[in-house]
Amino acid sequence: MADAQLKQEIKEMIVERLFLDADPAQMGDDENLMENYEIDSVNLFEIVVGMEEQFGISFEDDDFSVDLFATVDSLADFVERKQAEA
Amino acid sequence: MSALDERPVTINSGGARLHAVLHLPTEPRGRALAFCHPFAEEKKCAHRSMVDAARACAEAGWAVLRFDLRGCGDSPGRFVAADLDDWRADVVAAMDAAARETGSERVGLLGLRLGAALAAQVAEEHPEVACLALWEPIVDGGRYIQQNLRRSMIKAMVTAHEGGEEDAGAARAAGALGEGTVDFDGYQVSERLREQIGAIDLLAQPRAYAGPVLVVNLTAREEVAGPLAELASAYARGQAVAVRQEPLWQRIGVIDASPTIEATLTWLEQRDD
Repeated sequence: MADAQLKQEIKEMIVERLFLDADPAQMGDDENLMENYEIDSVNLFEIVVGMEEQFGISFEDDDFSVDLFATVDSLADFVERKQAEA
Repeated sequence: MSALDERPVTINSGGARLHAVLHLPTEPRGRALAFCHPFAEEKKCAHRSMVDAARACAEAGWAVLRFDLRGCGDSPGRFVAADLDDWRADVVAAMDAAARETGSERVGLLGLRLGAALAAQVAEEHPEVACLALWEPIVDGGRYIQQNLRRSMIKAMVTAHEGGEEDAGAARAAGALGEGTVDFDGYQVSERLREQIGAIDLLAQPRAYAGPVLVVNLTAREEVAGPLAELASAYARGQAVAVRQEPLWQRIGVIDASPTIEATLTWLEQRDD
């Protein structure tokens, strides 16, 4: 399970890059991002760019799936896995 | 706001007749800008913002020539035949036309995304460019190509999730090379153009252009992103500014571009040199 600090950083990155009117501290780790924040493909692209820039990871073509972007939990697990592989 | 003085203009660029719109100020200051548009879908999304910017600049006393590169918008030619060499020639022809049509002695370049990269490249060869205003220039063309293809893949993934037919695998296949072209979100890009864009690297060497340069970063952050700050510092008279503004080039629809326009006008007001 990814640590709380990483999840908080992901939440802050999402709110910042998507110009969301939301408090990162109030976002749930397991709430559905696409449904609760009306995240679309343009937003997902911004999240990918933000994760690469902020966490120093690289997405591969095979990494892309809707499940990956479902929650902060899944994104944090992905970041930790990528960082461990590096 | 005063009455708009706008008229269509045809630019001759090496035999290609480009479509353009000239925005004239009510109180001319003898200065003009040629506005270089972004690439493919980004041009479509940013269209309204570019019109708003041109009108705001005209209101502030700058004549603005908005033009379509050959193969784009209302200009003749096939997009798939587009070529950066031709597009750079189009930018130069637009500068000449802006000077001729407005009587302005000096013409600056304003560009967005790939249009900003083109403007920066042209300025390297044309020291007569009065000034450069670069909105989110494409600094690394290779990364830009990768991001365009990735955007298509994400869109296909979401479409499939929502019950559509596309999936990421299909998008990868669409984005792959086929008969010498690449599909950029519905735009057929030639292998040559893809290579030319991929070779763009504005940070590869110090910039020779000695005129004033503004690099605008549209961001939620207060600091300018690293590559854009680095680009500004590569110019002798470069300045970078972070503007709190959503991207103008990602969605069809009305986006209030006022923060970016105002930052640019503030900088242009200082351009009496």
